[in-house]
Amino acid sequence: MESSSPLEDNRLGPSVCAPLAQQRLNLTFFTHVAGDREVLCTASHNGEAALTLLQSQADPAASLALQPGTSILAVYPHDKRPEVIGTFIRSLARARVVIHGLASSPSAITAVLSSSRIKPAVEQLFEHFTFPGYASPQEFFSAQAPPKEYLEKVVATYQEKVTKVYWIIPQSDLDLWGIHIATADILAGFAAALMEMGELGLAIPFLVALPGLGGQEFILSFSTARRQPGGADQGKEIRRVLKSHLPDLQPMRLTPVAGIFLHGPHFGDRYGIAHTLVTALAQAHISLLALSCTISTISLIIRQHELAAAQVILGNTFAAPVECAPAAARG
Amino acid sequence: MSGKYILIVDDDPDLVETVSMMLESKGFEVGKAYDGIEGEEAIKKRRPDVLILDVMMPRKNGYELCKELKSNKWTQEIPVILLTAVGEAVPTTSYSHADGMSVEAEDFIPKPVDAATLVEAVQRLL
Repeated sequence: MESSSPLEDNRLGPSVCAPLAQQRLNLTFFTHVAGDREVLCTASHNGEAALTLLQSQADPAASLALQPGTSILAVYPHDKRPEVIGTFIRSLARARVVIHGLASSPSAITAVLSSSRIKPAVEQLFEHFTFPGYASPQEFFSAQAPPKEYLEKVVATYQEKVTKVYWIIPQSDLDLWGIHIATADILAGFAAALMEMGELGLAIPFLVALPGLGGQEFILSFSTARRQPGGADQGKEIRRVLKSHLPDLQPMRLTPVAGIFLHGPHFGDRYGIAHTLVTALAQAHISLLALSCTISTISLIIRQHELAAAQVILGNTFAAPVECAPAAARG
Repeated sequence: MSGKYILIVDDDPDLVETVSMMLESKGFEVGKAYDGIEGEEAIKKRRPDVLILDVMMPRKNGYELCKELKSNKWTQEIPVILLTAVGEAVPTTSYSHADGMSVEAEDFIPKPVDAATLVEAVQRLL
C-alpha cells in the first residue's frame, strides 16, 4: 500500500501504525520518509481491511492506494556495499519491473514487486549475481516452500508484553541524502551512481525508495557512512557522483545523522512493533527522519544529537540488551 | 582472538550480520552461511574453530547438520553452539535442550541471544 501525505512526524503513529497494530495487522514491509510518504505491505488477505483502517484515520490531504498481488524479493548479504544494491536495482530495471517499494536491512536489499513479475526479476538477478544455494532460477523457484506450521507456532509465542529484541545497534556520523526523481527510468542512473560509490569504497547502511501513487515519481533516501569513524567528509565526492549520473537532480543532504538498527526475533512476522517504536520516539520528541522495516530489522535514521536519548528510550521500551557493538561504527 | 575463525549458519540474514559484527568487533574472523547446505559447503572449504548453528533452517536444519558433523571423524571435533528458540517455544518439536547440550553440541544458547553470553561461549570453546 502506498500512502502520500504531508504528515507531521508525530502523526505517523496515530494515523498509520496505531490502527494497524490495534487490529493486529502485521507489516511485512514498511518504509517511511518524514513529511512525505509511506509504503507498507500486509498479507494479501488483510489488504482491504488495512486500506479501510488507514482511510478512516487519514489526514484529509492524504492519498492512499492499495496495490494487490505483490511480493517481496530480497538479496543478501549486501555488506553495505553500494555496488551490490546498485546491481540489484539495475537488474530490476533491466527486467522492466515496476518497483512498489525498496528498502535495506543490515544484511539485505528488498523490493516490493508485482507477483506476476517475480520470475523475470529473479532471472535477471541470476544474470548478475551468483547464489550458493541455487544454480539456476528454476532451482530457486522449486526450492520455495510455504511457511511451515511450526514457524507460526514459534511466532505466536513471541507476542510478548514487552517486545524482545536481539540487539539495538547505533551507528553515528552518517549523512542522509534525499533525491526526488520524476520517473522510474532514472533508477538505472541511480544504480550506476551506487556502483561508482562502491568503486570509491563508500558504504551505505540505509536506503529506502518510495514511489508516488502513480508509480513513476520516486523519493530516494539513503545514508552514507564515512570510510573511517571521524574520517574526512565525503559529501562533495558523493554529490559529484550523483550529479554525474543524475545531472538534472538536486540531491539534498542532512548531516550529521545517526542510524539505529533494531533486530529481533521474527520482526517481519509480528504486528505492533513499528507502532511501539514510533510512539516511543514521538513521546520523547525525537524526530524520525526515515525508517525501514524489512527482513527482521527496523532501521531508523534520526538527527545525531538525538541519538543518546533515542537509545535510552528504545532500551526502556524494548526488552533488549542495550548493546553498542563497536563494529557498528564501521562502514 | 585474531586468527580464530567462527562460522555462523542461520537463515535469518540480519541475525547473521549482527552476530558477525559483534564477533568481528572482538577480533574474530567470521564466515557466514544461510542454510544447512551452505553451512556444510563452508565447513568443507574452511574448518571453523567454532560453529554457531541455528536449528530451524531450510534445506538442511541445524540438528541434521550437527549430527552429520559429529558422526564424521574429520569434523566431530569442531565445537558447535546451537542457537535456537525452538526448545523453549515449541514443546512438540523433536528438538530439545537435552539433545542439544548432552548429545549433539558443545553448547546451547536460546534466542534471544545475549551478546556477552555468546562471546563468552565462543571463547570458552576455543
